Amino acid sequence: MAKRLVLTSVAILLAVAGLLPILAMLVKSVMVDDHFSLAFYQELLASGREVTLMRHSMALSTLTTLFATVIGLPLGILLAKTDLPLRQLFILLFTIPLLVPPYITAVSWFNLLGRDGLLARYLDPSLAKTTSAWLFGLPGCTLVLSSTFLPIVMLLTIASLKTVNPRLEEAGQLVAGWFSVLRGITIPLILPGVLLAAMLVFLLTFGEFGVPAFLGYDVFPVESFTQFSAFYNFSAATAAAIPLAVVAFLVLAAERFFMREKTDQLRPAPDGEQRSFIGLGPLRRWVLALVSLLCLIIVVVPVLALLLQSATTSAYVEALNRAGHSLLRSVVYALVGATLLTSVGFLSGYLIQTRTLPFWRSVDALTIFLFALPSTVTGIGLISLWNRPWTNFIYTTPAIIILGYLAKYTALTSRITVSTLAQIPSSMEEAAQVVGAGWVRRMGVIVAPLARHGLVAGWLVGYIFCLRDMGITMMVYPPGHETLPVRIFTLMANGSPQLIAALCVIMIVATLLPLSMLWMVFRTAMRGGAR
Amino acid sequence: MKRAHMKRGWAILTMITALVGYLGCYRTAQRSDTVTVYVSEDEVFSEPILKDFERETGIKVQAVYDTEEAKSTGVMNRLIAEQDNPQADVYWANEPIRAEVLKQKGISAPYVSPNAADIPAAFKDPEGYWTGFSARARVLIVNNKVNPKPHSILAYTDPRWRGRAVIANPLFGTTTVEIAALFTIWGEDRAMAFMAEMKKNGVAISPSNGESADFVASGQFDFSLVDSDDVVSRLRRGEPVEMIYPDQGENEIGCLIVPNAVVLIKGAPHPDAARRLIDTLLSKATERKLAFADCAQIPLHPGVETPPDVMRLDKMHVMSVNYADVARKMMEIQPYLKRWAGL
Repeated sequence: MAKRLVLTSVAILLAVAGLLPILAMLVKSVMVDDHFSLAFYQELLASGREVTLMRHSMALSTLTTLFATVIGLPLGILLAKTDLPLRQLFILLFTIPLLVPPYITAVSWFNLLGRDGLLARYLDPSLAKTTSAWLFGLPGCTLVLSSTFLPIVMLLTIASLKTVNPRLEEAGQLVAGWFSVLRGITIPLILPGVLLAAMLVFLLTFGEFGVPAFLGYDVFPVESFTQFSAFYNFSAATAAAIPLAVVAFLVLAAERFFMREKTDQLRPAPDGEQRSFIGLGPLRRWVLALVSLLCLIIVVVPVLALLLQSATTSAYVEALNRAGHSLLRSVVYALVGATLLTSVGFLSGYLIQTRTLPFWRSVDALTIFLFALPSTVTGIGLISLWNRPWTNFIYTTPAIIILGYLAKYTALTSRITVSTLAQIPSSMEEAAQVVGAGWVRRMGVIVAPLARHGLVAGWLVGYIFCLRDMGITMMVYPPGHETLPVRIFTLMANGSPQLIAALCVIMIVATLLPLSMLWMVFRTAMRGGAR
Repeated sequence: MKRAHMKRGWAILTMITALVGYLGCYRTAQRSDTVTVYVSEDEVFSEPILKDFERETGIKVQAVYDTEEAKSTGVMNRLIAEQDNPQADVYWANEPIRAEVLKQKGISAPYVSPNAADIPAAFKDPEGYWTGFSARARVLIVNNKVNPKPHSILAYTDPRWRGRAVIANPLFGTTTVEIAALFTIWGEDRAMAFMAEMKKNGVAISPSNGESADFVASGQFDFSLVDSDDVVSRLRRGEPVEMIYPDQGENEIGCLIVPNAVVLIKGAPHPDAARRLIDTLLSKATERKLAFADCAQIPLHPGVETPPDVMRLDKMHVMSVNYADVARKMMEIQPYLKRWAGL
């Protein structure tokens, strides 16, 4: 009874936070002059240009997902399971690109590879012409977005590896080498996490507009953006956003289809034992050089560009003067948002994984749908729903931002929970049920502790995404209460590059510092627990 | 075990209390004497003006900023979405066309500020729905390496600069205003021919004026038509560019002037504070500050002191346009511009 009540409440909360605002927008998109009409959709389908834009978006998303996964998966394995030196430092460094607004990363690459960039100044100008031509188009967009979203694959791979039972790998090692064990046992076990990461990268790239616009590569979201900002036509803009959601459903369906064949093959029993480590042997030095080179290209170069640009005390003083309050607000909202996202995502993920209620599929689809929709659509929907005199206590307070986070990012924590719970045998909860433990007790004593790595990973991902969010916050933040990313973007117009660079560095530190501290506390607690 | 649970409970309770306290403080802050302003003018230039207003009047300013560079559709869409329960008192637009759109949608209210009396009639709405102040000029930013330099917007169609010019997406911002202004002056046939020629000459399209200016400063392109503040900010940073006021010849069309526009929102929650803010924005003192700031905006009041690098209105050949006509034309040609931009 308690189980159904709690899970139904979570579904209702998600519907209120995300579905109702979007429904309000969808209804508007099929009404013209107060009559039902599909005119906006027909117009969309009639335009040949949309096909080209969709092709561009598919190409960019596919390539970005491919690169991010092909590099992120082995990187995650190297950093979680081998004796590679400086692993913790590398994890921290490789997380940074996710924390820098992709637009800033694109500008950094332009400063390096543009016609008159650093490359042209210090090396060959004709080479810079070639790199510039290469940067402005599909390859440049792929480079920027792959490096931005690579940490998602890396982090989820690391989180998934922590749930793998080392005994299975040890058993495999008795008859085969590490490579075969990884291919035959480890990777199939972490496949739910890796596929989830790939899906997230695909959807994030699909919805990205700023980087392709800067690098002159038109993609599908431009249509919705244009309808909003050039025509102020909310209905047409919503109609133009629907194909994004359709693609999201297709990706979700593909993931489901693939996982149906894979998830149940191996289900380890998690325990508190130490994870197995792969000795790299004589390759250690070469692998270290390779990982360092990758780190240099996608992390150090852009970050160094930011550090060099902000290398004055006055830039940091001005940044803190202008954005100190925004920084504090960002951290508070991200803490609250991540905690709420973890709780709601854990329960909705449980609902999806255990299929407790008949509408579990709808909850899963809803969270993915909301994640894929452009933030402007969600933001306008939230305004339409909550901006009423009797709901001012929500709309005119930071509560509206938190609701926005919940609508936009529950998919992240929910799907992380699903992939974590896929590793936990249902027999454990069933055993507790047999001896009379109620559902709440089972969740608190059995399921949550077993899923603790997933919960922590979900909280960390939730914190990062809440902290870096610009789209939703920009649309709904109460006047005078903007967050740091919003501040960075609003100061970017004619603000000094030194100030913007300093703000970005502060943003990186503000994200990494609490994350590192939390990670250390968690590790200490886990070690204490193991002893 | 029980004690650990209790400790955890207290910790959660403390966190919730702190959060509620934080939100409570926020609510308290909202109830004090405030004015809410939505701002499309760049934050680096508008924020100091609003801080001065706060200091001088004691009225707390709560601002929502927006930028073209951020590719955000925030402020205008927010104003439209909030129409039934307005949260903003004042809208500070960075060009008058958005102010005209708000008038057409019934979102703004008329207010004729006493401080606007000597602002030329061309820069304000005759019914008082918006009033212009501190303007930018639409100018050419040219890289120092370029020689000879373009002096007319017609350079966009000159084969000499084939593939070497960039323009911000004409669907957005002040570039739309400029193109719509050309349509009102030249008529549709000539304006469309110009646009077609420009495209044929390989013009590149950038997301915004700021990015166009950066592309020119970095040598990626030779020149671009941008706002004067985009050039001045780069000049003051020491970047290798020059500002050229286009079409200054006697028989040429002149340089388009784009004033800021301030709008009172219909149903504003704090109408008195809103009028005080509007009066302040329309004062000579504000125009002087914006002239001496890095945006180097051109005062519309006569007799306002300016720095040497800000050209006064009476010293330049200004494009003669009616902003209401430009706004109407802009709404008309948006579908054409969308096709032209390939979107």
